[in-house]
Amino acid sequence: MASTLYMDRKSPVHRLNPVTKLVILITVIVIVFAIPFWWVAAGVVAVVIVPAAVVSRCGGRLARLGLTILLPIVVVLFIVQGLTFPGGRTALWEWGPLALTTEGLLFALGIGSRIVCLVLASILFVLTTHPGDLLSALTERGMSPKFSYIISSTLQLIPAFRDRADGILLAQQARGLAIGKGLRGRVGAMMPLLAPLVLGMFTDVEERATAMEARGFGSTARRTALTPVPDSTAQRIVRWSMPLVAAAAIVLPLVTGAL
Amino acid sequence: MITLTDIGYAYPDAEHFALEKVDLHVEHGEILGVVGASGAGKTTLAKIIAGFIPHVDGGELTGTVVVDGADVAELSLSDAVSKVGLVIQNPFNQISGAKYTVRDEIAFGLENLGVPREEMVERVAAAADLLRISHLMDSSPYALSGGQQQLVAIASMVVLRTPVLVMDEPTSQLDPAGTRMVFDVLSALRDAGSTIVVLEHKVELLREHCDRVAVIAGETIVAVGEPREILADERMPEWGIGATRFTEAARAAAGRGVVAGGGTLPVSLDEAVAFFQEDVPA
Amino acid sequence: MSGVDLRFDDVHFAYPSGTQALRGVSLAIGAGERVAIVGQNGAGKTTLVRHLNRIFVPTSGTVTVGDRSTAGSTIAEMAALVGYVFQNPDEQIFARTVISDVMFGPKNLGCDEAESRDRALAALTTVGLAEHADAHPHQLSLSERKRVALAGVLAMRTPVLVLDEPTTGQDARGVEMISRVVAEVSAEGRTVVAITHDMDFCAEQFERVVVMTQGEVRADAAPEEVFAQREVIDAARVEPPQLMRLAAQLGWGSRPRTVDAFVDAAAGERAR
Repeated sequence: MASTLYMDRKSPVHRLNPVTKLVILITVIVIVFAIPFWWVAAGVVAVVIVPAAVVSRCGGRLARLGLTILLPIVVVLFIVQGLTFPGGRTALWEWGPLALTTEGLLFALGIGSRIVCLVLASILFVLTTHPGDLLSALTERGMSPKFSYIISSTLQLIPAFRDRADGILLAQQARGLAIGKGLRGRVGAMMPLLAPLVLGMFTDVEERATAMEARGFGSTARRTALTPVPDSTAQRIVRWSMPLVAAAAIVLPLVTGAL
Repeated sequence: MITLTDIGYAYPDAEHFALEKVDLHVEHGEILGVVGASGAGKTTLAKIIAGFIPHVDGGELTGTVVVDGADVAELSLSDAVSKVGLVIQNPFNQISGAKYTVRDEIAFGLENLGVPREEMVERVAAAADLLRISHLMDSSPYALSGGQQQLVAIASMVVLRTPVLVMDEPTSQLDPAGTRMVFDVLSALRDAGSTIVVLEHKVELLREHCDRVAVIAGETIVAVGEPREILADERMPEWGIGATRFTEAARAAAGRGVVAGGGTLPVSLDEAVAFFQEDVPA
Repeated sequence: MSGVDLRFDDVHFAYPSGTQALRGVSLAIGAGERVAIVGQNGAGKTTLVRHLNRIFVPTSGTVTVGDRSTAGSTIAEMAALVGYVFQNPDEQIFARTVISDVMFGPKNLGCDEAESRDRALAALTTVGLAEHADAHPHQLSLSERKRVALAGVLAMRTPVLVLDEPTTGQDARGVEMISRVVAEVSAEGRTVVAITHDMDFCAEQFERVVVMTQGEVRADAAPEEVFAQREVIDAARVEPPQLMRLAAQLGWGSRPRTVDAFVDAAAGERAR
């Protein structure tokens, strides 16, 4: 499906309950931010993310997406912190008034490693979790079905919305609207493009809402699900223990004075 | 199954009635076709039978609407929709958008009502079978043609097992192939126990599939009867409804004395063949 | 106001996704002709006509409108030559009154306020909506809005008029109105090209029918000839017009396009 990044594979990671994966993701984020040593983040990447990527057979895509997002961020981070870190004393390389300091680079390493871990974990989550399953699982646990509906339908309707916007642009151009000329910051010139889009949205929403009412969407009965999201006792245990791990990660450094 | 008595309705803020003095009776297990010019009141009638008027549209509704023994205007909207399933002309707006496969889409209504899973599985499979879309179960509803989407929309209603199905111009946005797909399932739906009211312009297809036809003109129902008699009526142009070319050709031929005329004019191809063969031996 | 010639010279077109939509289409349409394009969904009809107002440009081959190749213009520039009526009026109508929406096209083409208003009123009269000129478009029904959209393009008075499924969703009076418009526009010497699924409308109003399947033109002739080509009609999944089907079932040699022609044929058969 074009509007999500989900990759359909049959792997143990894909089969995990989405809430399990969500809880693990959040725990990972808490750990790397609570224990801010670069080797903790690197360790998580090596021990949790890379194996998961391999097992789920999404490694290639993860690497490509990760590189596209992270490379610019990391390069800029290293350059900026390397050159301007206030506590920087040990110069590795000098060029006039600018100096690349070890302290700066180490600082960048600390922040960068956490960002890398966070981004890779999030991307992997999205690649292995179907949005429909995630929303189903959350609804089962008490999230409002109306909220879940808004998210799912928005995702699926984005391509249609885009098509309609294209259609409107074509229709107005075919009546002589020259774009470029009209977009000189005048709201009036945008009307031929915006009005049909907004009005169309309202009409659709109204019609769809009525159609959904006709299919019992407003019902107060307890919802059931046709295709249940798989779960297991083992996963339940993992989900309950994750918050404890996260709590430990926060408390441990304070207690041992390692920070 | 459906009885409308002295129905009158005006939309909120409207200057005149959309429908007045409407009486209609539809038998259990009947397929009733309803024809009328655009704006004559077909959609209004559809919404009144389905309970959307007055519950959703507001306005003043006078008279009574009884469906399957219950007065629809007295029921809550959710009870009203459990009696009548409504299918509209735009297939796109009937798809929930919340589901990623046709199977889940059809089950959506049952999920909302809390139907147990085993029963859901069975009902979804039965509805897809009836609508001949079992081969599309794993497809995304958005990857289908307009005709297929309409069949999914109809299946999503059929699965709710409402005694009545009202279809408001279900083929108006479809191409000929999609139109045929929808009309072809009407008999199967009726045989499975539904009472169907289909509001449409396509006279040739209505002749083929309906048990009776009603005409809306001048804000009321002006005629109800056997499809051939109604659809060949000489008042069709006055009512703003286009007869088939078969009827027009027969009328013109009779008018010019090329054929003897008399008797009911043909509406379908077969009837026209019989009509012209009697008088014009090959 | 007269029409212009249209030419497709060995036009191939593939979408960016790779789908080949047109495979070597060559067509010449003279000024003032009325041409219907028929075929299944996916055959390439819409892709073809959208080359006329430069929504698409050929991957190879050329499309010429009048004396200019579409490749050298923008869509807005082509709007002065080719008026295109899209299927969904709600993707076009934006103004607060019917008449100001219909005036949009003429104004873009350089008409002043008075001229635009005159043209708009004339167009609204043609489609039978003159009394609704000051109404808010969304007070009108869908088929009335379709007529507003049509009026909006008619007011541009282009030499070429392209109609994308003009009768879909219309009732009998709507189809009659469209037929009148086609006849009027054509009588002025302007060219009409229409995509349609309504074969009765097609046979009655158009003297030339182009049948497409899978990006190619399979037949291009008068209705009587085209609908007699069984293999082409079947391959295109098109059902012949009612009167021609009837004549064929009755074993008559002729293929009448209108009710009058049919009755003439009946009289002829009777005389044998």
